[in-house]
Order: sequence, then C-alpha cells, then structure tokens
Amino acid sequence: MFFLGMQPVIRVTDLWKYYGDDEQGEPALRGTSLEVSAGDIVALFGKSGSGKTTLLNLLAGLDRPTRGRIEIEGQDLEALGERGRTEFRRSRLGFVFQFFNLLPTLTAFENVFLSLELAGRPDPAAARAALASVGLAGKENRYPHELSGGEQQRVAIARALVKKPSIILADEPTGNLDTHTGTHILDLLVDQCRQTQTTLIMVSHAMITCQYARRILQMEDGVVMEDRSCEAPGP
Amino acid sequence: MKIVAKAFLRYLLKRRSLSILQLLGIACGVAAVIGMGLSAQSALSSFSKAVEFLRGSSTHLIERPAGPIDEGLLAKLVQDPSVDFLAPVIDRRVRLKDSDAVRVLGIDPFLDRNIRPEIYRAYFAERRRGVKEDLFSFFTDERSVLIDSNLAAQLKLQPGSRFETSQGAFNVADTFTNPSGEPLILVDILNAQKIFDLKGSIDRIDLIINDDAAFRSRWEHGFRIESKRQRQETLAALLYAFKLNLQALSLLALFVGTFLIYNTAMFAVVSRRRDAGVLRSLGAQRHEVVAAFLAEILLFGVLGGALGAVFGHILSRFLTEIVGSTISTLYFFLKPSPQPWSLLTLAAGIALGCIASLLGAAAPLIELILIEPVKAIRGRVAYKGGTKKAGKFALTGIVVLCTAAVFLVFSFYHVYVGYAGTFIFLLGVSLFTGLTVMFVAPALRWLFSRAGGVQGKLAVANIRKNMGRTAVAIAAFMVALSMSIGLGSMIESFRYSLIWWMNSQLKGELYVSTKGDIDVPEDFYEELKGMPGIGGVDAYRNVQVTYRGIPTYITAINASILQRFTQFGWVNGGNENWEPVKQGSVIISESFSRRFNVKKGDAVTIEGTEGTVQFPVTAIFYDYTTEHGLIMMDRSTFIRHFKDRTINSLGVFVDPGYPDREKVIAEVKRRAQGRNLPVATRSELHSTILSVFDNTFAVTRSMRVLAIIVAFFGIAGALMTLFVERRREFGIYRALGFSVRQIAGMTLFEGIGMGLVSFLMSTGVGTALALILIKVINLRSFNWTIFYHFTFDPYLIAAITAIAASIGASIYPIWKVYRTYPQIQIREE
Repeated sequence: MFFLGMQPVIRVTDLWKYYGDDEQGEPALRGTSLEVSAGDIVALFGKSGSGKTTLLNLLAGLDRPTRGRIEIEGQDLEALGERGRTEFRRSRLGFVFQFFNLLPTLTAFENVFLSLELAGRPDPAAARAALASVGLAGKENRYPHELSGGEQQRVAIARALVKKPSIILADEPTGNLDTHTGTHILDLLVDQCRQTQTTLIMVSHAMITCQYARRILQMEDGVVMEDRSCEAPGP
Repeated sequence: MKIVAKAFLRYLLKRRSLSILQLLGIACGVAAVIGMGLSAQSALSSFSKAVEFLRGSSTHLIERPAGPIDEGLLAKLVQDPSVDFLAPVIDRRVRLKDSDAVRVLGIDPFLDRNIRPEIYRAYFAERRRGVKEDLFSFFTDERSVLIDSNLAAQLKLQPGSRFETSQGAFNVADTFTNPSGEPLILVDILNAQKIFDLKGSIDRIDLIINDDAAFRSRWEHGFRIESKRQRQETLAALLYAFKLNLQALSLLALFVGTFLIYNTAMFAVVSRRRDAGVLRSLGAQRHEVVAAFLAEILLFGVLGGALGAVFGHILSRFLTEIVGSTISTLYFFLKPSPQPWSLLTLAAGIALGCIASLLGAAAPLIELILIEPVKAIRGRVAYKGGTKKAGKFALTGIVVLCTAAVFLVFSFYHVYVGYAGTFIFLLGVSLFTGLTVMFVAPALRWLFSRAGGVQGKLAVANIRKNMGRTAVAIAAFMVALSMSIGLGSMIESFRYSLIWWMNSQLKGELYVSTKGDIDVPEDFYEELKGMPGIGGVDAYRNVQVTYRGIPTYITAINASILQRFTQFGWVNGGNENWEPVKQGSVIISESFSRRFNVKKGDAVTIEGTEGTVQFPVTAIFYDYTTEHGLIMMDRSTFIRHFKDRTINSLGVFVDPGYPDREKVIAEVKRRAQGRNLPVATRSELHSTILSVFDNTFAVTRSMRVLAIIVAFFGIAGALMTLFVERRREFGIYRALGFSVRQIAGMTLFEGIGMGLVSFLMSTGVGTALALILIKVINLRSFNWTIFYHFTFDPYLIAAITAIAASIGASIYPIWKVYRTYPQIQIREE
C-alpha cells in the first residue's frame, strides 16, 4: 500500500537477481517492484529462500542486482557508484543483522561509536546515549562475547540508530533470540524508529512482527506482494 | 578510523597464538635471508682485509710462473728505475704437531719495513728495551721465529718457548698482533731459506713501483707480474663460484621466506573477511578497510622484520664460521669476523619483512577490494568451483613452467638466468598445488577414512574445501621439501661422481704429503723410485697460473705412471691419450675446457720461464679438484718450460707382481715418516677428500634445515588459522556427537594430510630441481659434469620431515582443542 501524499523513500522497479556468473538457474528475485514511504514501518515475510535477505542486501547496496532499478530518496543506487553506495550506508542507512555482526574486538561503546566515526560525527556522548536508550547503560565497556544475545542485538540496534539514518533495514532481528527478548527488541527498534521518523523494513519469520508494522509485505518466489492478512508465514 | 585500527590491533592480541606464529613465520623468513647475506658479506670483506694486511703497501709482486725465483734477481731489481721499494718473501707452510698447517713468511725485516710497516713498527722499531737480545736472536738463531699472538695463545706459547713443526723445532722470539686472522709465523728470510732448503732462492718479491708499464715492458718475459688490483681480482675470481653459490642460497632463502610471509599475510586478510564485510556494511570505504589491513600487515612486517633481523644476525655468526671454514678448506685461509650489529641490518630486516608482507597480502587484498560486501560478510565459505579454479591455476602454472624452461635454456648467457629459471620453475609447480589436492583427495579420503574413520574423511574434505588457506601452505611446504630433496640429491650425486672420480684417478697405494703444505724433497722421490717392489711413483706438482688473465692451474704428473696404473674418466678416448702427453702435449680438465671454451685439438698458450709456450690439447678428462680448470702435463714437460722441480706430493704404486705388498707399503711409510712427511693410504686419502667435500656443503645443509623450519611455521600457521576460523564449526561437530578426541584427531589428520600432499608433490618437484641444479646451475657455476645418481636418503629425510613437521604443527591446535572444547561451543563471538 502506498500512502498518498507521502514521497516514497524507496522505489524498486523490476528487480532481478541471479547468483553466479550468468543468468542460469533459478533467480532469487524475479522482477519485483516496491515502494516504501518515508517513516513507514514495514514487515516483510516469506518462506526461506523466497528472496527476503537478497532484497534487503540489494536495498543496502551490499550486493548488486542483475537487472532492475533501486531508487533511494530519489537517487538511483546503481548510478551512485561504489563510493556513493558506501556513503549512503555510512550516513543514511542502518542495518541490523540476525547474527548481530558486532566487531568482536570492540567494546559495546566502541561498536556504536564506530558508526558515528564513519558517519563523520564522532560524538562519544551520542554513542553513550544510544546505548542507554536501548537499556545498556553501564555495559558500555563490555565486549560482545561478554553480552547475552539480546544485549548484543541491542548494541546492534544502537549502532544502527545512533547516526540517525533515514532507513533501517533489519534482517530477522529477532531470529536469533527467544520470544521474550525478541519482543523486547522489536519494542525498542520500532519505538525508536517511530520517534525519529525512520523508515524501517524488517525481514521476519515471527508473527509478532505484524503487531509492530504499519505495512505487511509477503515475499513469494522472488516477488513482493502486499499482504493484509498477517497470517503465519512459512517456517 | 582510530576505532577500526584499534579493533584490528586488538584482534592480534586476542589471537595471540596465531599472531606469534605469524610473527615467527615472518621473522624466520627474514632471518634466513639476513643470516645468509651477512655471512657472505663477512667472508668477502674479511677476505679483502686479509689480502690488504699480507700484501701491505706493495703495489706489485714479481714471481716465476711456477716455482721459486733466484735471489740474484733482487740485485737487478734494485737498479730498476721503476722500483721504489722491494722486499723478498718466502711464503710457505709448516704443519704443527697434531694441528693444522700454518703460514710461514720469510722476510727481510729491514727491506720489509717499507712494504709492511705495521709489522716493522710493532716488532722491530718499538721493541721493549728488555727483549732486545731476543730480537737479536731473530737474526742469529736459525730456528728463531715471531709468532702471531692468537696462535701463541692457542698453543700456549710465550717468548722463549719452543714448539715442534714438520720443519723441525722453532724458538719463539716474540709475539705480534696479526689483524688478518690467519695464523702466521715470521722468520728471517735467510733462516727461511735454510729451513725450507731454498738456498739462493725466494718465492716472490713484493714491490712498490712507480711505473707499471715501463716495469712490465722490462720484466714480463719469464716472470709473472701481478698488481695489487690484479691480485684482488685473482682471489675474487677464485671465490667467484663460491660467492655465486652463497648468493644462490641467499636467494633460495628469500624465496622460501617470501613464500612464508606471503602465506602469513594472506592468512591475516582471509581470516578477517567477515570483519571487513561488517565494516563495509556500516559504511566503511574500501580504501579504509584496505588501509586498516595494510596497517596490520605492515605492523607484522615491521615487528617480524625486526625480529628476523635479530635472528638473522645471530644466525650469521654461526654461518660465518661455516663459510670461513669452507673457504679455508677449498681456496685460501680465511677467518671472517661476523658483521657487527648495525641499524642497517635492522632496516634491511624491516624492509624485507614489509615488502614481502605487502607482496603476500596483495592478492587477497585485491580480492577483498573487488568482492561485494555481502559476500565478504559471509566470512569463511567453502572453496566453490574448486576444480575450475585449480584448473585455471594449473594452466597459469603451465605458462610459468614454459617461461622457466626458456630461462633454463638460455642459462648459458649467465648463471643468474639459470637461477631465475629455477625460481620461476618452483613458482610454476606451486600453481599445480590445487589440482594435486583435487587429484589425490579421493585416495587420501580412502586412506584416512580407514585410518581415522569419519574424522579422517572430514579432515580431507576440510583440506579440499579450504583450499584458499591450505593450498598456499601446502605449496610453501612443498617448495621447502623439494629444496631438501633437490639439494640432497644433488649433493649425493656429486658425492657419487666424486667417488667414481677418486676410484679412477687416485689409485696409488700410498700418497706422500697430500696436504699441499709440505713439499717432498726430490731425492726422496728418487729414493722411492729405486725401492724394490715399487711399480711407479707419480710426482705431483700443482701451480696456479693465469690463462687469458684468469686464474687456473697447471698440474705436472708422470704420464707413463698414470697411464699404467690409473684409468682416468676421459670425456673422449681412453688411456691412449697419455701417449702425446709423454711427448709434450697436455690434457685439460672438463672445467678448463668449458670455462675457456678450449677443445681437443686446440692449443693453450702459457707464459713459461723462457717466454710463451704453446701446448697442444690432446684430450679432456673429468675432474673435480678445482672448478677453475687445470692443464695437466708430464713432469718432464713442466720442468722444461717452468724450471720448477718442486714436488707437492707423491703417489706411490706398488708393483702388482711383487709378492709382499704390505712390506713395501710399510717401508715407504717408515721412510716418509723418517723425513717428517705425512703419508696416507688410498682409503685414507679418499676419506679425507670426502670429508672435505662434506664440509663444503655445510652451508647448504644449514640452508636445508632453515628452509624446513621456515616451512614448518607455514604449515603451523595454516593449521592455526583453520582452527581459529572454525571454532564455531567445532562446536557444531561436538553437538553432532563428536568427542573432543575426534576433533583433535581431525586436526591431526588435516596436518598430516597437508604434509603428505606436500611430500608427494616434492618427490617429483625435488627430483626435477636436482636435475636442474646438476645439469644447469652446477654446470654453469663450476663447469663440471655431475652424474645424476638416485639415492633414497633425500626422499626418506623429506618424508620424515613432512610427517614430523605436520604432526609438530598440529600439536598446538590440538592442545587448543582440548583446552577450549570441553563443552559445546557454538555461540557467536
């Protein structure tokens, strides 16, 4: 559903993605299109292998499509070039991974601060505030292996939010957490995004995600479809 | 990006074991190069210093082409307008009791003061007043000598002491400081003439002349005039092949060292792909990630290089001694002092460490630059499309091998071209590692699954699926093992050729005075010839001459004796080649023929006592006495043209028909010992030669050991990296029901598997390397043919090394497995 009067922050047109050197075999994405408005909170469901993570990686500019066009805030991601895409990730995009992907040799504070440093705004107070906002005050100096899974994911959320991006992409942010912690993380992530009017796209298997999203999308065989039912997706 | 740098540096501390292995790997690689380079440098600079000291400030020397010179020449030279100063010299050796030969210089102290003022000042002009009578005895006492202080300390001698030598007892008048390092005894020249039975003769005259051209024009016929520069060039030429050998070994060390550093640097990059991916996903630019890696790699380069410089310096002290001893055995006395520690050594080590690290990291860094972040973030992935990639590498390998072949074919231009070809060959065969792993993996899986069950099977799969890591380590280890087999086979083949040569040429029952430092009196030669039961006596004389300005040797022998009692290894023909030699022709060694491109039927022109003489070459024979080549002629021809009756040694052949051979041998021994002449039986002489031969290869053997150590760190680093990368995977294995013992077993099988593949490859590559060393490098460096001879030993040593090193390299990861995995550990860091 496209909200009238709101400018789309993400526009995907006829997106194809094949893995491998040529266009042989099954594509991960087969000509999908999508528009997402600024400040929207979107849940993307789909079976394993339906192309959810591929779409997210392409939206983040971490991977390149075989065919099709991705516009972020009106700019063609492909035309930005490698440097431009990196700059986009650095300043306008936050990414939350299922397996957290914190740098193991940096403390919680340093992991968050790194994000600010990369964005050219090295503000230690902001990093501390971000950690406090996810409930990790007092654990700034802990290394990832000294934190629980939920705490690691909170650090990852703080890392994504601290630079105040316009878009956050979350790839199964609760996939590696128990239900209670997962709910907590979703509360935190969505709440923060609402407060800051950040666009959030969450790839998920967890039905509870429906309760947080303003828009539900279903991915099937490499194509995104609107879904109003919010029924349980596949495993 | 301070935080990124911090993250990288902390990673090094967190993975201490791996970091230490990587540092040691780089350090060993650098140490091999620095150690070899410094010892070669020590030998060559000490050689210049020694020459400087013994020649003093003389500008030239004059001597006969062979043998002593009449002292009457001194009176004529004094009147020559080109001569400013002159000093007669008798330059001989005596053998100390139960010790080595020592150089004895017979000098005229007063004439010598202008040539070697240091000796004069120290011992004749500034003597302590109290010992003046001792000094006086230096001239009056025929047995009075000055002995260098080091030798005096070694023999526990003081002024007034007496010591025994092969030329009788000497009395120590005093000691003197000798900076050349060569043990030295000084004798008054008149006394030296008596001691060495050289009445009216001297060995040479050292000169300071003011007009080289004018002097040469007056004295060049019948004499050999050599300037100081020529002398240095001559000695340098003698060392040329040896120097080449040292340089080749340094390069070999550099090659293996660079391979290892490459291995290390590559691990640093590939094991951190995931971190690089995370950084990229957070918005770090490619160049920023690369800069962080480069900082880490350079840190390793600097620290490892510095440590390598220190190790190399220590190693050079050990190698310098071996190099000095080898040069002393083969060429002339040299006691090189190890190079002092300098910041330059440190700088060289750091530069080497950094350059090799950067070279090593280049390929994986380029891959990291080109890869999409999403792929990098996946971290370690299975080696996909292995066969295709291995095939591509092998195809590149074929191209590289063809290039190597071109270089080897054109090695006749210069031996360096041959060296380049050899290194390119090693690089080329390394590119076949992936394909070999693919090829032998099924057999290895069959073997390991029977030996170790499922963990054995998984170990082979891990080697194959992690080829990005394992292939370089296997290649580095393979190169080191191939070097071991190649050098070992070359040495064994050389030894075999030497034994064949000794059995064909050195067939006398006894050899008198073979050490080359004590001449045999001619009357003793005559005496032996007349002894009952003696079939023949070969009087051997060897002199260094220059041919086309390059040092070579003339050997005088008794052609008819050798024709009767020996069977030379002729390049063409048989013993009938001796007939023309008896008439005045010469035979030349293979090395002479190759060096000067002289063939059978050509003539060689040499400066004799009475002008130039042309000798027709009647045959070429295999010879391993000197790589500088030798011209062999009958003793009568030699005396006719060089007026030198000196005999260096005698080969005694007992009459085959004589009933009591043992009695004859005993009698010859008795008579020789009566004259203080050392005697050796044929087998004793053969074993002495073999022992000299074995000592000659001490440096080479050291390099073999070093290469193995370097490679050991390579394989240990590979195993450790695999271990660190797969910690989570090990947890999964535990969850699946693997015991800690099985995981440790799998690690061990991986190590042994890598060692086995390396060994399998090295059997072929090592044999090819041996053939290249024999047919190309040795032939070009030493101009002699070595006959390839297969021996099992080098292969056995390589096999044992491969297994021992693989097991040794596995020990630490296995220990870590036991220490880290008592429980299941799957969680992410």
